[in-house]
Amino acid sequence: MPDTPEQPIVNQVARLARIHLDEQQLKSSGEKLEQILSFVSQLEQVELPEDVIPFFGAIESVNAIRDDQLQTSVPREKILDNAPESDGEFYLVPPVFKQTDS
Amino acid sequence: MTLSALNADIIVDQLNAGEITATDCVQHFLERIETHNSDLNAFISVSDKALEQAEAIDNRRKAGESLGCLAGLPIAIKDGICVAGQPTTAGSKMLEKFSAPYDATIVERLKSAGAIVIGKTNMDEFAMGSSTENSYFGSTNNPWATDRVPGGSSGGSAACVAGRLAPVAIGSDTGGSIRQPASFCGITGLKPTYGRVSRYGLIAFASSLDQIGPMTRTAKESALLMSVIAGFDPRDSTSSKEQVSDSLASLEIPLKGIRIGVCRDHLNEGLHLEVKTKINDAISVFKQLGANIEEIELPHTKSAVAAYYIIAPCEASSNLARYDGVRYTFRAQANDLEEMYRNTRGQGFGDEVKQRIMLGTYALSSGYYEAYYLKASKVRRMIKQDYDEAFQKVDLILGPTTPTPAFKLGQHTQDPLAMYLADIFTVSANLAGIPAISVPVEPSSTGLPIGLQLQGRAFEENILLRAAHQFQNETPWHTTSPSEPWRTQS
Repeated sequence: MPDTPEQPIVNQVARLARIHLDEQQLKSSGEKLEQILSFVSQLEQVELPEDVIPFFGAIESVNAIRDDQLQTSVPREKILDNAPESDGEFYLVPPVFKQTDS
Repeated sequence: MTLSALNADIIVDQLNAGEITATDCVQHFLERIETHNSDLNAFISVSDKALEQAEAIDNRRKAGESLGCLAGLPIAIKDGICVAGQPTTAGSKMLEKFSAPYDATIVERLKSAGAIVIGKTNMDEFAMGSSTENSYFGSTNNPWATDRVPGGSSGGSAACVAGRLAPVAIGSDTGGSIRQPASFCGITGLKPTYGRVSRYGLIAFASSLDQIGPMTRTAKESALLMSVIAGFDPRDSTSSKEQVSDSLASLEIPLKGIRIGVCRDHLNEGLHLEVKTKINDAISVFKQLGANIEEIELPHTKSAVAAYYIIAPCEASSNLARYDGVRYTFRAQANDLEEMYRNTRGQGFGDEVKQRIMLGTYALSSGYYEAYYLKASKVRRMIKQDYDEAFQKVDLILGPTTPTPAFKLGQHTQDPLAMYLADIFTVSANLAGIPAISVPVEPSSTGLPIGLQLQGRAFEENILLRAAHQFQNETPWHTTSPSEPWRTQS
Protein backbone atom coordinates (compact mmCIF):
# COMPACT_ATOMS: atom_id res chain seq x y z
CA MET A 1 0.00 0.00 0.00
CA PRO A 2 1.23 3.54 -0.66
CA ASP A 3 2.29 5.69 2.30
CA THR A 4 -0.43 7.62 4.09
CA PRO A 5 -1.27 10.88 2.33
CA GLU A 6 0.64 14.06 3.22
CA GLN A 7 -1.37 17.24 3.73
CA PRO A 8 -0.69 18.61 0.18
CA ILE A 9 -2.16 15.39 -1.21
CA VAL A 10 -5.24 15.77 1.02
CA ASN A 11 -5.63 19.31 -0.35
CA GLN A 12 -5.32 17.96 -3.89
CA VAL A 13 -7.93 15.24 -3.23
CA ALA A 14 -10.37 17.88 -1.93
CA ARG A 15 -9.74 19.85 -5.13
CA LEU A 16 -10.33 16.75 -7.28
CA ALA A 17 -13.53 15.96 -5.36
CA ARG A 18 -14.69 19.59 -5.76
CA ILE A 19 -15.32 19.93 -2.03
CA HIS A 20 -14.43 23.13 -0.21
CA LEU A 21 -12.89 22.32 3.18
CA ASP A 22 -11.37 24.91 5.52
CA GLU A 23 -7.93 24.44 7.10
CA GLN A 24 -9.33 22.67 10.17
CA GLN A 25 -11.50 20.35 8.07
CA LEU A 26 -8.57 19.52 5.77
CA LYS A 27 -6.43 18.59 8.78
CA SER A 28 -9.18 16.46 10.32
CA SER A 29 -9.93 14.82 6.97
CA GLY A 30 -6.25 13.94 6.56
CA GLU A 31 -6.19 12.33 10.02
CA LYS A 32 -9.28 10.24 9.33
CA LEU A 33 -7.96 9.22 5.91
CA GLU A 34 -4.77 8.07 7.57
CA GLN A 35 -6.72 6.04 10.12
CA ILE A 36 -8.88 4.33 7.52
CA LEU A 37 -6.03 3.71 5.07
CA SER A 38 -4.03 2.18 7.87
CA PHE A 39 -6.97 -0.15 8.58
CA VAL A 40 -7.47 -1.17 4.95
CA SER A 41 -3.74 -1.81 4.54
CA GLN A 42 -4.55 -5.30 5.92
CA LEU A 43 -5.57 -6.11 2.34
CA GLU A 44 -1.84 -6.24 1.56
CA GLN A 45 -1.60 -9.41 3.64
CA VAL A 46 -4.28 -11.24 1.65
CA GLU A 47 -2.59 -13.82 -0.55
CA LEU A 48 -4.21 -13.98 -3.94
CA PRO A 49 -3.77 -16.54 -6.74
CA GLU A 50 -1.88 -14.90 -9.61
CA ASP A 51 -4.74 -15.35 -12.05
CA VAL A 52 -7.53 -14.01 -9.83
CA ILE A 53 -10.01 -11.93 -11.80
CA PRO A 54 -11.33 -8.86 -9.95
CA PHE A 55 -15.04 -8.95 -9.16
CA PHE A 56 -16.58 -5.54 -9.87
CA GLY A 57 -20.27 -6.36 -9.89
CA ALA A 58 -22.28 -8.57 -7.65
CA ILE A 59 -24.01 -10.44 -10.45
CA GLU A 60 -22.27 -11.10 -13.71
CA SER A 61 -25.32 -10.61 -15.86
CA VAL A 62 -25.54 -10.05 -19.59
CA ASN A 63 -25.74 -6.61 -21.09
CA ALA A 64 -29.25 -5.17 -21.08
CA ILE A 65 -30.24 -3.81 -24.47
CA ARG A 66 -33.76 -2.75 -25.36
CA ASP A 67 -35.32 -1.85 -28.70
CA ASP A 68 -34.46 1.66 -29.84
CA GLN A 69 -38.00 2.97 -29.57
CA LEU A 70 -39.22 6.35 -28.43
CA GLN A 71 -40.68 6.20 -24.92
CA THR A 72 -42.29 8.81 -22.74
CA SER A 73 -40.18 10.10 -19.90
CA VAL A 74 -40.66 12.42 -16.94
CA PRO A 75 -41.78 15.86 -18.24
CA ARG A 76 -39.02 18.46 -18.39
CA GLU A 77 -40.86 20.94 -16.16
CA LYS A 78 -41.10 18.33 -13.39
CA ILE A 79 -37.35 17.77 -13.54
CA LEU A 80 -36.62 21.50 -13.66
CA ASP A 81 -38.84 22.06 -10.59
CA ASN A 82 -35.87 20.81 -8.54
CA ALA A 83 -33.34 23.08 -10.25
CA PRO A 84 -31.82 25.81 -8.07
CA GLU A 85 -32.10 28.12 -11.09
CA SER A 86 -33.60 27.59 -14.52
CA ASP A 87 -35.30 29.55 -17.32
CA GLY A 88 -37.96 26.89 -17.78
CA GLU A 89 -36.00 25.23 -20.55
CA PHE A 90 -32.39 25.04 -19.36
CA TYR A 91 -30.49 24.93 -16.09
CA LEU A 92 -28.82 28.25 -15.31
CA VAL A 93 -25.37 28.35 -13.71
CA PRO A 94 -22.91 31.07 -12.68
CA PRO A 95 -20.44 32.29 -15.33
CA VAL A 96 -18.24 29.51 -16.65
CA PHE A 97 -15.56 31.92 -17.88
CA LYS A 98 -14.26 34.88 -15.93
CA GLN A 99 -15.38 38.18 -17.49
CA THR A 100 -12.71 40.59 -18.73
CA ASP A 101 -12.97 44.32 -19.49
CA SER A 102 -11.93 44.00 -23.14
CA MET B 1 -56.11 -6.13 19.95
CA THR B 2 -55.24 -2.67 18.65
CA LEU B 3 -54.37 -2.20 15.01
CA SER B 4 -50.74 -1.40 15.75
CA ALA B 5 -50.29 -4.81 17.39
CA LEU B 6 -51.39 -6.63 14.23
CA ASN B 7 -49.06 -8.03 11.60
CA ALA B 8 -49.46 -6.80 8.04
CA ASP B 9 -50.91 -10.07 6.73
CA ILE B 10 -53.62 -9.95 9.43
CA ILE B 11 -54.34 -6.27 8.69
CA VAL B 12 -54.77 -7.14 5.00
CA ASP B 13 -57.10 -10.04 5.88
CA GLN B 14 -59.21 -7.77 8.11
CA LEU B 15 -59.34 -5.09 5.41
CA ASN B 16 -60.45 -7.68 2.86
CA ALA B 17 -63.08 -9.05 5.25
CA GLY B 18 -64.45 -5.54 5.80
CA GLU B 19 -63.69 -5.69 9.54
CA ILE B 20 -61.65 -2.50 9.33
CA THR B 21 -61.32 0.26 6.75
CA ALA B 22 -58.17 1.59 5.12
CA THR B 23 -59.08 5.03 6.44
CA ASP B 24 -59.23 3.81 10.05
CA CYS B 25 -56.00 1.96 9.58
CA VAL B 26 -54.08 4.90 8.08
CA GLN B 27 -55.61 7.26 10.68
CA HIS B 28 -54.45 4.97 13.48
CA PHE B 29 -50.83 4.91 12.34
CA LEU B 30 -50.79 8.64 11.54
CA GLU B 31 -51.94 9.26 15.12
CA ARG B 32 -49.18 7.04 16.47
CA ILE B 33 -46.63 8.97 14.42
CA GLU B 34 -48.09 12.24 15.72
CA THR B 35 -47.79 11.01 19.32
CA HIS B 36 -44.45 9.19 19.22
CA ASN B 37 -42.29 10.59 16.45
CA SER B 38 -40.98 13.39 18.64
CA ASP B 39 -39.40 10.69 20.87
CA LEU B 40 -38.07 8.47 18.09
CA ASN B 41 -37.48 10.82 15.12
CA ALA B 42 -38.12 7.83 12.87
CA PHE B 43 -39.88 9.87 10.16
CA ILE B 44 -38.44 12.80 8.23
CA SER B 45 -41.78 13.54 6.57
CA VAL B 46 -45.34 12.30 6.78
CA SER B 47 -47.57 12.02 3.72
CA ASP B 48 -50.43 14.51 3.47
CA LYS B 49 -52.06 12.34 0.79
CA ALA B 50 -52.28 9.09 2.77
CA LEU B 51 -55.81 9.61 4.12
CA GLU B 52 -57.11 10.63 0.72
CA GLN B 53 -55.56 7.50 -0.81
CA ALA B 54 -57.08 5.36 1.95
CA GLU B 55 -60.54 6.79 1.28
CA ALA B 56 -60.10 6.04 -2.42
CA ILE B 57 -59.26 2.41 -1.59
CA ASP B 58 -62.28 2.15 0.71
CA ASN B 59 -64.53 3.55 -2.01
CA ARG B 60 -63.16 1.15 -4.60
CA ARG B 61 -63.69 -1.74 -2.20
CA LYS B 62 -67.29 -0.64 -1.56
CA ALA B 63 -67.85 -0.47 -5.30
CA GLY B 64 -66.76 -4.09 -5.56
CA GLU B 65 -63.62 -3.37 -7.57
CA SER B 66 -60.82 -5.89 -7.60
CA LEU B 67 -57.96 -4.63 -5.41
CA GLY B 68 -54.29 -5.52 -5.04
CA CYS B 69 -52.91 -7.84 -2.37
CA LEU B 70 -51.87 -4.96 -0.07
CA ALA B 71 -54.97 -2.79 -0.53
CA GLY B 72 -55.18 -0.33 2.35
CA LEU B 73 -51.97 -1.38 4.10
CA PRO B 74 -49.92 1.57 5.42
CA ILE B 75 -46.19 1.38 4.66
CA ALA B 76 -43.17 3.55 5.50
CA ILE B 77 -40.44 4.13 2.90
CA LYS B 78 -36.80 4.99 3.56
CA ASP B 79 -36.13 8.56 2.51
CA GLY B 80 -33.51 7.53 -0.05
CA ILE B 81 -36.26 6.06 -2.24
CA CYS B 82 -38.33 8.29 -4.55
CA VAL B 83 -42.04 8.72 -3.88
CA ALA B 84 -43.54 11.03 -6.52
CA GLY B 85 -44.41 14.48 -5.22
CA GLN B 86 -43.03 13.73 -1.75
CA PRO B 87 -39.85 15.11 -0.19
CA THR B 88 -36.99 12.65 -0.78
CA THR B 89 -33.96 13.89 1.12
CA ALA B 90 -31.67 10.85 1.60
CA GLY B 91 -31.06 12.37 5.05
CA SER B 92 -29.05 15.22 3.50
CA LYS B 93 -29.11 18.99 3.56
CA MET B 94 -28.20 18.68 -0.14
CA LEU B 95 -31.70 17.31 -0.89
CA GLU B 96 -33.65 19.03 1.90
CA LYS B 97 -35.96 20.71 -0.64
CA PHE B 98 -35.95 17.91 -3.24
CA SER B 99 -39.34 16.61 -4.32
CA ALA B 100 -39.18 13.30 -6.21
CA PRO B 101 -40.40 13.76 -9.81
CA TYR B 102 -41.39 10.09 -10.12
CA ASP B 103 -42.03 6.92 -8.12
CA ALA B 104 -39.27 4.37 -7.66
CA THR B 105 -40.28 1.10 -9.33
CA ILE B 106 -40.84 -0.57 -5.96
CA VAL B 107 -43.08 2.32 -4.86
CA GLU B 108 -45.04 2.06 -8.11
CA ARG B 109 -45.49 -1.67 -7.48
CA LEU B 110 -46.49 -1.20 -3.83
CA LYS B 111 -49.03 1.47 -4.81
CA SER B 112 -50.43 -0.77 -7.57
CA ALA B 113 -50.89 -3.47 -4.94
CA GLY B 114 -52.86 -0.92 -2.89
CA ALA B 115 -50.28 -0.08 -0.20
CA ILE B 116 -50.43 3.46 1.16
CA VAL B 117 -47.19 5.33 1.79
CA ILE B 118 -47.65 7.08 5.14
CA GLY B 119 -44.23 8.66 5.42
CA LYS B 120 -40.51 8.73 4.66
CA THR B 121 -38.10 7.42 7.24
CA ASN B 122 -34.89 8.81 8.68
CA MET B 123 -31.52 7.48 7.56
CA ASP B 124 -27.82 8.14 7.63
CA GLU B 125 -27.02 10.74 4.97
CA PHE B 126 -26.93 9.02 1.55
CA ALA B 127 -27.07 5.72 3.53
CA MET B 128 -23.52 6.21 4.82
CA GLY B 129 -23.52 5.06 8.41
CA SER B 130 -24.46 2.34 10.86
CA SER B 131 -26.38 4.33 13.47
CA THR B 132 -28.62 6.95 11.73
CA GLU B 133 -26.57 9.56 13.59
CA ASN B 134 -25.29 10.92 10.26
CA SER B 135 -28.72 12.28 9.30
CA TYR B 136 -29.02 16.04 8.65
CA PHE B 137 -32.44 15.71 10.33
CA GLY B 138 -31.08 14.45 13.67
CA SER B 139 -30.58 10.95 15.09
CA THR B 140 -33.30 8.35 15.38
CA ASN B 141 -33.70 6.73 18.81
CA ASN B 142 -34.10 3.01 19.39
CA PRO B 143 -37.58 2.35 20.84
CA TRP B 144 -36.17 -0.47 23.03
CA ALA B 145 -33.81 1.99 24.76
CA THR B 146 -34.03 5.58 23.58
CA ASP B 147 -30.46 6.38 24.60
CA ARG B 148 -29.29 3.80 22.05
CA VAL B 149 -28.98 3.94 18.27
CA PRO B 150 -31.46 2.05 16.07
CA GLY B 151 -28.63 1.01 13.76
CA GLY B 152 -28.31 2.29 10.25
CA SER B 153 -28.51 3.37 7.68
CA SER B 154 -32.21 2.34 7.56
CA GLY B 155 -32.62 3.25 11.26
CA GLY B 156 -35.87 5.16 10.78
CA SER B 157 -37.52 2.22 8.99
CA ALA B 158 -36.38 -0.21 11.73
CA ALA B 159 -37.43 2.06 14.61
CA CYS B 160 -40.87 2.80 13.13
CA VAL B 161 -41.67 -0.90 12.68
CA ALA B 162 -40.33 -1.83 16.14
CA GLY B 163 -42.22 1.11 17.69
CA ARG B 164 -45.36 0.25 15.68
CA LEU B 165 -45.57 3.64 13.98
CA ALA B 166 -46.00 1.68 10.74
CA PRO B 167 -46.90 -1.99 10.25
CA VAL B 168 -44.10 -2.53 7.70
CA ALA B 169 -41.35 -0.53 6.01
CA ILE B 170 -38.89 -0.58 3.14
CA GLY B 171 -35.15 -0.07 3.58
CA SER B 172 -32.02 -0.33 1.49
CA ASP B 173 -28.85 -2.28 2.24
CA THR B 174 -25.38 -1.50 0.86
CA GLY B 175 -23.27 -3.09 3.61
CA GLY B 176 -25.86 -4.15 6.18
CA SER B 177 -28.22 -1.16 6.26
CA ILE B 178 -31.37 -3.30 6.44
CA ARG B 179 -30.08 -6.20 8.57
CA GLN B 180 -28.03 -4.31 11.16
CA PRO B 181 -30.89 -1.93 12.17
CA ALA B 182 -33.33 -4.87 12.03
CA SER B 183 -31.04 -6.64 14.50
CA PHE B 184 -30.71 -3.59 16.79
CA CYS B 185 -34.49 -2.99 16.79
CA GLY B 186 -35.66 -6.61 17.13
CA ILE B 187 -37.38 -6.92 13.76
CA THR B 188 -36.95 -8.97 10.57
CA GLY B 189 -35.00 -7.46 7.66
CA LEU B 190 -34.23 -9.02 4.29
CA LYS B 191 -31.50 -7.92 1.88
CA PRO B 192 -32.45 -9.64 -1.36
CA THR B 193 -29.99 -10.94 -3.98
CA TYR B 194 -28.38 -8.16 -6.01
CA GLY B 195 -30.67 -7.71 -9.01
CA ARG B 196 -33.74 -9.31 -7.41
CA VAL B 197 -35.43 -5.94 -6.65
CA SER B 198 -35.23 -2.95 -8.98
CA ARG B 199 -33.06 -0.04 -7.84
CA TYR B 200 -34.78 2.44 -10.18
CA GLY B 201 -35.63 5.45 -8.02
CA LEU B 202 -33.24 4.51 -5.21
CA ILE B 203 -30.76 7.33 -4.62
CA ALA B 204 -27.47 5.61 -5.44
CA PHE B 205 -24.71 5.14 -2.85
CA ALA B 206 -22.62 2.22 -4.19
CA SER B 207 -24.31 0.81 -7.27
CA SER B 208 -22.74 -2.66 -7.26
CA LEU B 209 -23.81 -3.21 -3.63
CA ASP B 210 -27.12 -1.33 -3.08
CA GLN B 211 -30.28 -3.39 -2.77
CA ILE B 212 -33.81 -2.54 -1.59
CA GLY B 213 -35.67 -4.87 0.78
CA PRO B 214 -38.49 -5.30 3.34
CA MET B 215 -38.26 -4.49 7.08
CA THR B 216 -41.08 -6.14 9.01
CA ARG B 217 -41.85 -7.90 12.25
CA THR B 218 -42.13 -11.35 10.69
CA ALA B 219 -40.61 -13.32 7.82
CA LYS B 220 -44.14 -13.92 6.54
CA GLU B 221 -44.68 -10.17 6.13
CA SER B 222 -41.33 -9.89 4.33
CA ALA B 223 -42.44 -12.68 1.97
CA LEU B 224 -45.68 -10.78 1.35
CA LEU B 225 -43.80 -7.58 0.43
CA MET B 226 -41.28 -9.48 -1.70
CA SER B 227 -44.19 -10.97 -3.69
CA VAL B 228 -44.91 -7.39 -4.78
CA ILE B 229 -41.49 -5.71 -5.14
CA ALA B 230 -39.29 -8.51 -6.56
CA GLY B 231 -38.75 -9.07 -10.27
CA PHE B 232 -37.25 -7.71 -13.44
CA ASP B 233 -37.57 -4.01 -14.27
CA PRO B 234 -36.50 -2.76 -17.71
CA ARG B 235 -35.61 0.59 -16.11
CA ASP B 236 -32.85 -1.00 -14.00
CA SER B 237 -30.31 -2.64 -16.30
CA THR B 238 -28.88 -4.61 -13.37
CA SER B 239 -32.21 -6.10 -12.36
CA SER B 240 -32.43 -9.83 -13.02
CA LYS B 241 -34.76 -11.76 -15.31
CA GLU B 242 -34.35 -14.80 -13.07
CA GLN B 243 -37.81 -16.15 -12.24
CA VAL B 244 -39.22 -15.08 -8.87
CA SER B 245 -40.48 -18.05 -6.91
CA ASP B 246 -43.48 -17.74 -4.59
CA SER B 247 -41.96 -17.34 -1.12
CA LEU B 248 -45.35 -17.24 0.58
CA ALA B 249 -46.32 -20.62 -0.84
CA SER B 250 -43.15 -22.33 0.38
CA LEU B 251 -43.04 -20.94 3.96
CA GLU B 252 -44.37 -24.09 5.61
CA ILE B 253 -42.32 -26.68 3.71
CA PRO B 254 -40.53 -28.55 6.53
CA LEU B 255 -36.85 -27.79 7.11
CA LYS B 256 -36.02 -31.45 7.75
CA GLY B 257 -32.73 -32.30 6.08
CA ILE B 258 -31.80 -28.71 5.22
CA ARG B 259 -28.07 -28.13 5.64
CA ILE B 260 -27.07 -25.07 7.64
CA GLY B 261 -23.44 -24.00 7.77
CA VAL B 262 -21.91 -22.30 10.78
CA CYS B 263 -18.58 -20.52 10.53
CA ARG B 264 -16.97 -20.97 13.96
CA ASP B 265 -14.66 -17.98 13.41
CA HIS B 266 -17.77 -15.78 13.36
CA LEU B 267 -18.87 -17.11 16.76
CA ASN B 268 -15.63 -16.49 18.58
CA GLU B 269 -13.36 -13.49 18.40
CA GLY B 270 -14.77 -10.11 19.45
CA LEU B 271 -18.32 -11.34 19.86
CA HIS B 272 -20.44 -10.02 22.75
CA LEU B 273 -20.90 -12.97 25.13
CA GLU B 274 -24.69 -12.81 25.18
CA VAL B 275 -24.83 -12.59 21.38
CA LYS B 276 -22.81 -15.79 21.22
CA THR B 277 -25.07 -17.57 23.74
CA LYS B 278 -28.31 -16.55 22.04
CA ILE B 279 -27.05 -17.52 18.59
CA ASN B 280 -26.03 -20.95 19.94
CA ASP B 281 -29.54 -21.30 21.43
CA ALA B 282 -30.99 -20.47 18.01
CA ILE B 283 -28.82 -23.17 16.43
CA SER B 284 -30.51 -25.66 18.78
CA VAL B 285 -33.93 -24.52 17.52
CA PHE B 286 -32.90 -25.19 13.94
CA LYS B 287 -31.63 -28.63 14.97
CA GLN B 288 -35.03 -29.36 16.50
CA LEU B 289 -36.61 -28.30 13.21
CA GLY B 290 -34.61 -31.06 11.52
CA ALA B 291 -31.74 -29.02 10.08
CA ASN B 292 -28.29 -30.55 9.83
CA ILE B 293 -25.69 -28.15 11.22
CA GLU B 294 -22.29 -28.31 9.55
CA GLU B 295 -19.11 -26.35 10.09
CA ILE B 296 -17.90 -24.29 7.17
CA GLU B 297 -15.06 -21.90 6.49
CA LEU B 298 -15.19 -18.47 4.91
CA PRO B 299 -11.50 -17.55 5.20
CA HIS B 300 -11.59 -14.30 3.22
CA THR B 301 -14.57 -12.73 5.00
CA LYS B 302 -12.18 -11.41 7.66
CA SER B 303 -10.99 -8.95 4.97
CA ALA B 304 -14.53 -8.00 3.93
CA VAL B 305 -14.81 -4.77 5.94
CA ALA B 306 -11.47 -3.51 4.57
CA ALA B 307 -12.46 -4.37 0.98
CA TYR B 308 -15.89 -2.82 1.48
CA TYR B 309 -14.46 0.45 2.82
CA ILE B 310 -12.48 0.84 -0.40
CA ILE B 311 -15.11 -0.34 -2.89
CA ALA B 312 -18.14 1.48 -1.45
CA PRO B 313 -16.43 4.92 -1.11
CA CYS B 314 -14.97 4.58 -4.64
CA GLU B 315 -18.44 3.99 -6.06
CA ALA B 316 -19.90 6.73 -3.86
CA SER B 317 -17.33 9.29 -4.99
CA SER B 318 -18.51 8.72 -8.54
CA ASN B 319 -22.26 8.50 -7.79
CA LEU B 320 -22.32 11.64 -5.65
CA ALA B 321 -20.50 13.73 -8.27
CA ARG B 322 -23.96 14.65 -9.57
CA TYR B 323 -24.63 16.85 -6.50
CA ASP B 324 -22.90 19.95 -7.77
CA GLY B 325 -25.45 22.73 -7.37
CA VAL B 326 -26.87 22.50 -10.90
CA ARG B 327 -29.79 20.06 -10.74
CA TYR B 328 -30.71 19.08 -7.20
CA THR B 329 -32.18 22.05 -5.31
CA PHE B 330 -29.26 23.11 -3.10
CA ARG B 331 -26.77 25.65 -4.40
CA ALA B 332 -24.28 27.65 -2.35
CA GLN B 333 -23.35 31.25 -3.18
CA ALA B 334 -20.40 31.56 -5.56
CA ASN B 335 -18.86 33.87 -8.13
CA ASP B 336 -18.06 31.29 -10.76
CA LEU B 337 -18.92 27.73 -11.70
CA GLU B 338 -15.94 26.01 -10.10
CA GLU B 339 -16.48 27.84 -6.82
CA MET B 340 -20.17 26.91 -6.96
CA TYR B 341 -19.31 23.21 -7.21
CA ARG B 342 -16.89 23.37 -4.29
CA ASN B 343 -19.06 25.51 -2.02
CA THR B 344 -22.23 23.55 -2.77
CA ARG B 345 -20.52 20.26 -1.93
CA GLY B 346 -18.66 21.70 1.04
CA GLN B 347 -21.86 23.07 2.59
CA GLY B 348 -24.44 20.57 1.33
CA PHE B 349 -22.76 17.32 2.42
CA GLY B 350 -22.25 16.25 6.03
CA ASP B 351 -18.87 15.23 7.46
CA GLU B 352 -19.14 11.45 6.92
CA VAL B 353 -20.27 11.84 3.31
CA LYS B 354 -17.41 14.26 2.58
CA GLN B 355 -14.98 11.86 4.24
CA ARG B 356 -16.10 8.92 2.13
CA ILE B 357 -15.99 10.96 -1.08
CA MET B 358 -12.45 12.02 -0.13
CA LEU B 359 -11.47 8.39 0.52
CA GLY B 360 -12.99 7.20 -2.76
CA THR B 361 -11.44 10.03 -4.74
CA TYR B 362 -8.03 9.29 -3.21
CA ALA B 363 -8.28 5.53 -3.82
CA LEU B 364 -9.28 6.03 -7.46
CA SER B 365 -6.76 8.78 -8.20
CA SER B 366 -3.83 8.26 -10.49
CA GLY B 367 -1.22 5.93 -9.01
CA TYR B 368 -3.42 4.44 -6.28
CA TYR B 369 -6.08 2.55 -8.28
CA GLU B 370 -4.21 -0.75 -8.37
CA ALA B 371 -3.20 -0.72 -4.73
CA TYR B 372 -6.69 0.02 -3.47
CA TYR B 373 -9.67 -0.48 -5.78
CA LEU B 374 -8.21 -3.26 -7.88
CA LYS B 375 -6.81 -5.11 -4.88
CA ALA B 376 -10.12 -4.78 -3.01
CA SER B 377 -12.00 -6.08 -6.07
CA LYS B 378 -9.71 -9.11 -6.21
CA VAL B 379 -10.34 -9.79 -2.53
CA ARG B 380 -14.03 -9.43 -3.33
CA ARG B 381 -13.64 -12.27 -5.86
CA MET B 382 -12.08 -14.46 -3.15
CA ILE B 383 -14.98 -13.71 -0.79
CA LYS B 384 -17.45 -14.68 -3.51
CA GLN B 385 -15.51 -17.91 -4.15
CA ASP B 386 -15.61 -18.73 -0.42
CA TYR B 387 -19.40 -18.52 -0.56
CA ASP B 388 -19.61 -20.51 -3.81
CA GLU B 389 -17.62 -23.31 -2.17
CA ALA B 390 -19.60 -23.16 1.09
CA PHE B 391 -22.90 -23.38 -0.80
CA GLN B 392 -21.72 -26.62 -2.41
CA LYS B 393 -21.91 -28.12 1.08
CA VAL B 394 -24.78 -26.26 2.73
CA ASP B 395 -28.07 -24.54 1.84
CA LEU B 396 -27.86 -21.69 4.34
CA ILE B 397 -25.18 -20.03 6.46
CA LEU B 398 -26.09 -19.01 10.01
CA GLY B 399 -24.39 -16.52 12.34
CA PRO B 400 -24.90 -13.31 14.28
CA THR B 401 -26.06 -10.22 12.37
CA THR B 402 -23.96 -7.88 14.53
CA PRO B 403 -21.17 -8.44 17.07
CA THR B 404 -23.02 -6.52 19.83
CA PRO B 405 -26.54 -5.30 20.62
CA ALA B 406 -27.36 -1.62 19.92
CA PHE B 407 -24.68 0.76 21.19
CA LYS B 408 -25.28 4.12 22.82
CA LEU B 409 -25.94 7.31 20.89
CA GLY B 410 -22.62 9.10 20.47
CA GLN B 411 -20.56 6.05 21.46
CA HIS B 412 -18.82 5.66 18.10
CA THR B 413 -19.31 9.04 16.44
CA GLN B 414 -15.66 10.05 16.90
CA ASP B 415 -14.26 6.67 15.92
CA PRO B 416 -15.14 5.74 12.32
CA LEU B 417 -13.42 2.35 12.53
CA ALA B 418 -15.45 1.24 15.56
CA MET B 419 -18.58 2.28 13.64
CA TYR B 420 -17.47 0.43 10.49
CA LEU B 421 -16.92 -2.79 12.46
CA ALA B 422 -20.64 -2.88 13.31
CA ASP B 423 -20.96 -4.15 9.71
CA ILE B 424 -18.42 -6.95 10.10
CA PHE B 425 -20.91 -9.80 9.57
CA THR B 426 -23.14 -8.08 7.02
CA VAL B 427 -20.86 -6.57 4.33
CA SER B 428 -19.80 -9.92 2.85
CA ALA B 429 -23.29 -10.67 1.52
CA ASN B 430 -23.29 -7.35 -0.36
CA LEU B 431 -19.82 -7.98 -1.79
CA ALA B 432 -20.88 -11.46 -2.97
CA GLY B 433 -24.36 -10.31 -4.09
CA ILE B 434 -26.18 -13.02 -2.11
CA PRO B 435 -29.40 -12.65 -0.09
CA ALA B 436 -29.38 -12.47 3.72
CA ILE B 437 -32.00 -11.99 6.43
CA SER B 438 -31.84 -10.89 10.06
CA VAL B 439 -34.37 -12.29 12.53
CA PRO B 440 -34.68 -11.55 16.25
CA VAL B 441 -33.47 -14.13 18.79
CA GLU B 442 -33.77 -13.93 22.57
CA PRO B 443 -32.83 -10.41 23.75
CA SER B 444 -29.94 -9.64 26.08
CA SER B 445 -30.42 -9.75 29.86
CA THR B 446 -30.92 -5.97 29.74
CA GLY B 447 -33.66 -6.29 27.15
CA LEU B 448 -31.75 -5.25 24.04
CA PRO B 449 -32.63 -7.10 20.82
CA ILE B 450 -30.12 -9.48 19.20
CA GLY B 451 -30.26 -10.59 15.57
CA LEU B 452 -29.51 -13.87 13.85
CA GLN B 453 -28.36 -13.71 10.23
CA LEU B 454 -29.10 -16.34 7.61
CA GLN B 455 -27.36 -16.08 4.25
CA GLY B 456 -28.36 -18.05 1.18
CA ARG B 457 -27.51 -18.75 -2.45
CA ALA B 458 -28.25 -16.07 -5.03
CA PHE B 459 -31.99 -15.91 -5.85
CA GLU B 460 -32.94 -18.34 -3.06
CA GLU B 461 -34.78 -15.81 -0.89
CA ASN B 462 -37.59 -18.35 -0.56
CA ILE B 463 -35.32 -20.70 1.45
CA LEU B 464 -34.18 -17.85 3.71
CA LEU B 465 -37.75 -16.73 4.33
CA ARG B 466 -38.92 -20.31 4.91
CA ALA B 467 -36.18 -20.97 7.49
CA ALA B 468 -36.81 -17.62 9.20
CA HIS B 469 -40.57 -18.22 9.25
CA GLN B 470 -40.24 -21.65 10.81
CA PHE B 471 -37.80 -20.32 13.39
CA GLN B 472 -40.45 -17.73 14.22
CA ASN B 473 -43.09 -20.48 14.48
CA GLU B 474 -40.98 -21.96 17.29
CA THR B 475 -39.89 -18.75 19.09
CA PRO B 476 -41.69 -15.69 20.50
CA TRP B 477 -39.00 -13.02 19.96
CA HIS B 478 -40.56 -11.43 16.87
CA THR B 479 -43.85 -10.94 18.73
CA THR B 480 -42.52 -8.72 21.49
CA SER B 481 -42.68 -4.94 21.30
CA PRO B 482 -40.95 -2.27 23.37
CA SER B 483 -43.04 -1.00 26.28
CA GLU B 484 -44.55 2.46 26.12
CA PRO B 485 -43.59 5.05 27.20
CA TRP B 486 -40.21 4.18 25.66
CA ARG B 487 -37.51 3.70 28.27
CA THR B 488 -33.84 4.58 28.36
CA GLN B 489 -31.52 1.85 29.41
CA SER B 490 -28.65 3.42 31.32
